[in-house]
Amino acid sequence: MIIPIRCFTCGKVISNIYEVYQSRVERGEEPKEVLDDLDIERYCCRRMLLAHQDLIDELMEY
Amino acid sequence: MNIEIREMQERKAKLILSDANPTLANALRRVLIADIPSLAIETVEFHLGTIGDEAEEKEYQSSTPLFDEIIAHRLGMIPIPTDLDLFNFREECEECGGEGCPNCTVIYSLNKKGPCTVYSGDLIPVGETDLGVVDDLIPIVKLSDDQAILIYAIAELGTAKEHAKWQSTSGVGYKYYPEISIDSDKCDNCKDCIDICPVDILEESEDGEIIVSDIEKCKICKSCVETCAVGAIDVKGREDKLILRYETDGTLDAETILQKGLEILQEKFNSVIEMVEDIE
Ligand SMILES: [Zn+2]
Ligand SMILES: [Zn+2]
Repeated sequence: MIIPIRCFTCGKVISNIYEVYQSRVERGEEPKEVLDDLDIERYCCRRMLLAHQDLIDELMEY
Repeated sequence: MNIEIREMQERKAKLILSDANPTLANALRRVLIADIPSLAIETVEFHLGTIGDEAEEKEYQSSTPLFDEIIAHRLGMIPIPTDLDLFNFREECEECGGEGCPNCTVIYSLNKKGPCTVYSGDLIPVGETDLGVVDDLIPIVKLSDDQAILIYAIAELGTAKEHAKWQSTSGVGYKYYPEISIDSDKCDNCKDCIDICPVDILEESEDGEIIVSDIEKCKICKSCVETCAVGAIDVKGREDKLILRYETDGTLDAETILQKGLEILQEKFNSVIEMVEDIE
């Protein structure tokens, strides 16, 4: 759907970097490097971005 | 308990607790997680129906791709800068008796017309100008061509005991202070421990002995103990010295959180002492 505002597990705000993360990954950077660079340290927060499927654009058509 | 501040950034801190024990460290940890008051949006009013724009002579619908409940929930999770000296809990507010006033609530307005993405930075504080949200780039919802959103949101103080949206810390955790002892008489210099250490803190000194570079990085995983064929290395965690780390979401800075946390912990201990005295 849309990126959750905080990490489900620890509560760190992760949505504020989602668009930066997404555009950098699309430009061909390794997700690992981007997450390290954006200071997303714990694996609970890293999976929030890694495993996210942004479906809101598909839903907007209806 | 002595607290040594090893690292104190705006949103991150690392403390060394000495002359302490895990029980005390956990008490502090739990206070940092659940008892620090902060501001978060609690009440949201949606404008329903059409939203007109006289200049454009166009009408927008107040429906969005997300349910209003989801938007309200997302608004609640947004960190809001908090000055604990300025705000009272709403129920305890003496100025207004819980009705809501500048001493206990902050009102935000959100007015945006599609097509666009609505960000947390679009929340405008009504009246006070210095209480804009911490992060401007949190996406709240997306709007398509003729959709619009008009919202009033009211933030108030609360603690994470009631709802996680008031939790201003994350990743609060402590570990035993590691101690690595290397018996140089037994050591046969195979260097297996240097290779296996996952945090790379073992290295060889100039005179050929194995030394520890940054002891606080040690995770006490004991891989080096397991791999050492001659049993020359031993790793222990001290129970009287601990490393506590936490991060904040920007509602309060790390230093204020620690001060407030210790204050609350002191109050809790005092109330226990009082209760015990009442028994006698
Ligand atoms: Zn997390
Ligand atoms: Zn009030």
